[in-house]
Amino acid sequence: MTPLRRTLVLGAAGAFALGAFAAPALAAEDTATVSVLHAVPGVPVDVYANGEELIPDFQPGTLTDPLQLPAGSYDLAIYPAGSDPATTQPAASADDVTVPAGANATIAAHLTPDGTPVLTPYVNDTSPVAAGQARVTVRHTAAAPAVDVRANGQVIAPGLTNPGEATLETAPGTVSADVVLAGTDTVAIGPADLTLAEGTSTIVYAWGSQDAGYQLAVQTIEGTHSSPSGVPGGSAGLVEPSVPLPVVGATVLGMVVLGLGARRLTAARD
Amino acid sequence: MRSEVRLPVLLVVLGVLLGVGVPTAWLLTRPGTSEGPPVAEVVAGSSGPAASPSRGSDAAGPEQAGSGGSLPSVTARPATPQPAETRPDPTRLTVPALGIDAPVDAVGVEPDGTMTIPEDVSRVGWYRFGPAPGAPEGSAVLAGHVDDAEQGLGALSPLSEASVGDQVQVTDAAGGSTTWQVVAREEFSKQSVPLADLFARSGPPRLVLITCGGPFLADIRSYQDNVVVIAEPV
Repeated sequence: MTPLRRTLVLGAAGAFALGAFAAPALAAEDTATVSVLHAVPGVPVDVYANGEELIPDFQPGTLTDPLQLPAGSYDLAIYPAGSDPATTQPAASADDVTVPAGANATIAAHLTPDGTPVLTPYVNDTSPVAAGQARVTVRHTAAAPAVDVRANGQVIAPGLTNPGEATLETAPGTVSADVVLAGTDTVAIGPADLTLAEGTSTIVYAWGSQDAGYQLAVQTIEGTHSSPSGVPGGSAGLVEPSVPLPVVGATVLGMVVLGLGARRLTAARD
Repeated sequence: MRSEVRLPVLLVVLGVLLGVGVPTAWLLTRPGTSEGPPVAEVVAGSSGPAASPSRGSDAAGPEQAGSGGSLPSVTARPATPQPAETRPDPTRLTVPALGIDAPVDAVGVEPDGTMTIPEDVSRVGWYRFGPAPGAPEGSAVLAGHVDDAEQGLGALSPLSEASVGDQVQVTDAAGGSTTWQVVAREEFSKQSVPLADLFARSGPPRLVLITCGGPFLADIRSYQDNVVVIAEPV
């Protein structure tokens, strides 16, 4: 391990230590938010980052909580769970994966269309969603040809190919989602009920293989909401602040009395 | 001669007292446009990222990791689609001290992006995309029209007289209820309302009540200000 490599690993280790409780405070600085998804059916794996074990015994169909990693370049690899990385070929690896500061990314371990394990880094859209809207991103990570993704029977992402993705903003709510072979009504996955909460990003992964079966995995990113642009509240002017009548009366009366007194005073002096 | 002068002097003194004293006293004693600490201060930073106490461990982290030599476990959870957690909607708002007792409707946003307010001025809208009253964190926002040309005064019109310490109660659809205490009231011009903080979805739990107030702008049939009341759980 070169000295540079060593530094990187130590830095990463420190970030993992912090990640559990300091995530929001560091998010804006020189760190990136990274989640890892295991979408290779049937095989628990150990995930390594820059030669250090990051996630032991990572189960298919699970997703890590977001980690704060120092921005930089990472060599990622997955090995069958419990194997020795010194003597085992990785099941999949991705070298020099650049994680820029402030980015929000998901590293997905999944199958290519022909069934080979692969690691794909996806950049997650965390820009604000308009008030009253929800963002949904669909990603094709299954050993399958092109598909259409449907919500309530309507195609929302046509002709999606592995490892492609599509993003759209829509009204929030619960939709019945399924995945069909592109251009057909042959359902490959689902239907499954998906809750698209207002102001959040919901990322849906279609994953699996013909042999192991196809499934949906869901990742939710919160904190992308916007506030309403204002609060309208009245149209009649009934509660406009005004000086109450008794106060006006007393003031006018005071003026009259003052004038009267002043006249008497000047008259008396003459 | 003496008594002839005394009456006019008396009249002048009385006149000044009435003409100057009464309006001054009214100005000084009328309910102000704000009570309690500034609202912006109370809700400040609610919408932003968590505060920085953990920042100190930034430097300490790598050292610890270096000396300890082991990576803490990373939390992973099943990514299967989960049914959404739901909390019962609020259905009624009462502020006994102000005589407010109004039904609550769940509302969203208008096409122009402003919060939807029930047409019926005797009803109050709850911003359903934000936290519900009683949620562990964030601000639950309830807003209502202050008045309407045909319907008259709205349920929330007494809000401009809310005092610090007034009790607020919100009942939900499941029969549960939450009790709150007013901590601040302030009038904002609509351009300067701290919306992002008032609609915060994280931070300490709060109840935010909003209606209109201030000068009425007849040409646009709208009030210039928003009256904002902040309450905290009792």
